Amino acid sequence: MTTRRGFLQRLVGVFAGLTGLSFLGPVVAYLAPKKEKGGRKILLDPNGSPVKADILNKEPSVVGFGINGEPTIVIKYEGELRAFSAVCTHLGCLVKWKPAKAEFFCPCHAGRFDANGVNIAGPPPEPLPRYRVYVTGDNLLGLEEGKA
Amino acid sequence: MKGLILGVWRWVDERTQISRVVRATLTEYMVPANLNFWYTMGSLLIACFVIQIVTGILLLIYYVPETSKAFESVKFITSAVPFGWLIRRLHAMTANLFVLVLFLHMLSTLYMGSYKKPREIQWMTGVILFGLVLTEALSGYLLPWSQLSYWATTVATNAIGSIPKIGDMLVVWVRGTPKVSQFTLGRFFAMHVSLIPFTILMFIAIHLLFMRLTGISAPPGTDKSKVAKVPFFPHMVSEDLTSLFIFLAALTLLVFFFPQFAFPPDALEPANPLQTPAHIKPEWYFLANYQALKLVPNEFLGILLQLVVGVILFFLPFLDRSPERRPLKRPVFTTLVTLGLLAYIALAVWGHYS
Ligand code: HEM
Ligand code: FES
Repeated sequence: MTTRRGFLQRLVGVFAGLTGLSFLGPVVAYLAPKKEKGGRKILLDPNGSPVKADILNKEPSVVGFGINGEPTIVIKYEGELRAFSAVCTHLGCLVKWKPAKAEFFCPCHAGRFDANGVNIAGPPPEPLPRYRVYVTGDNLLGLEEGKA
Repeated sequence: MKGLILGVWRWVDERTQISRVVRATLTEYMVPANLNFWYTMGSLLIACFVIQIVTGILLLIYYVPETSKAFESVKFITSAVPFGWLIRRLHAMTANLFVLVLFLHMLSTLYMGSYKKPREIQWMTGVILFGLVLTEALSGYLLPWSQLSYWATTVATNAIGSIPKIGDMLVVWVRGTPKVSQFTLGRFFAMHVSLIPFTILMFIAIHLLFMRLTGISAPPGTDKSKVAKVPFFPHMVSEDLTSLFIFLAALTLLVFFFPQFAFPPDALEPANPLQTPAHIKPEWYFLANYQALKLVPNEFLGILLQLVVGVILFFLPFLDRSPERRPLKRPVFTTLVTLGLLAYIALAVWGHYS
């Protein structure tokens, strides 16, 4: 048996709850993560201008923003271009290419990857994601999702 | 004239009851006469909070929470604004001492068994405050948008990603974007200057309210009903002031002579999302956690382990229910705390040199 008072208390509770919930939706949407501008398929430098491919004739590697703004490292290894995500699969520091050892090295917890991006030492649990990379007609570095 | 002032005061006091409140909370509030040095840590923590609020508001006047301007604005504060360097150094250095004093406060209540019945709520709000201050320090760390800010935040937020299934999603929610960006800065800024400080204030109020409700503990081994009592003012207040001035002396010494302690070289470079500096290390109070994460082969296990320690600490009053408070009369507990402390220090030192 609900008393009149019990019924009113429950009614107030239900309305307070519904009011709270109706505010919650917009707040969650407001806080929802934003997608990074995607779709760029050439390597960009920090200022957003394209990286010239011939820099790899002088330097053994170059880091820039690649597909979906992912920090991406392109190396010239045994005359061949290779591109990997530069984001260490451990905790997200950026790897460096060590040409003398033919390894990627992560400065944060000394993770190491071989020239195929495979994790060979330290804490990283997975290989570096690899991209297909080619030199475009206007001497830029084109990137494509998927294995080289 | 004197009569007039007295008259106004009587009028105000009659309506606001100020003198009654002062008597009840200061001059007629009796505390055990044998309270020791460790009982002054609480007032130091309030001092730290006040310093952070005041210097934080002053920094806020010139600080710009935008990725292309944040570093410049902080540089402007330190190099162009009169005494800006002092305000910034005080804020950064007090953040460190805040955590240090919190450690001391927690350790002293652990050793003295002050978390036991009837002070469980004080202990639990204390553990929450500890977490809040650490989160506050972590969120503030990103604001100057230096290399150190950027990469320390990248690594710290990435750690959440090792939680199975929902980890990756959580990281993106915390950052607001897949990588640390303007959206991360916006979130952390809002947390740092408003959400967390207000929450801290609320928990300090609860913490102190329950201290008054249960009364302050007498040191272990003494019977509170038998020890002599002294009024809080002036006795305890002068003890608190002694500790406060020792604290301020240490703070000033650090601010003037060892500022590099709060600002390592990577803090002087603007953030570069394409270049991770070598040897990126977290603040000293996260070094043990950082080293533990490196040592445990499965990262999620590492995080889980730290979470378990936190949960055990939180529920400690319900796990250790014996009324005995003297450290030497509960050797197992005292040994455990000491070993835990040594392990923590060892991990931190190891993390620093590895
Ligand atoms: C309650 C404890 C607080 C702690 C532990 C704390 C900690 C920190 C830390 C570690 C930094 C980075 C310092 C640096 O490298 O310069 C920082 C920056 C900052 N904090 Fe706080 N903070 C606290 C409260 C506040 C409050 C209440 C405000 C404002 C209402 C505030 C405003 C700022 C601003 C504007 C910055 C950026 C300027 C700068 O980096 O120097 N803080 N905070
Ligand atoms: S982030 Fe690369 S090894 Fe930890």
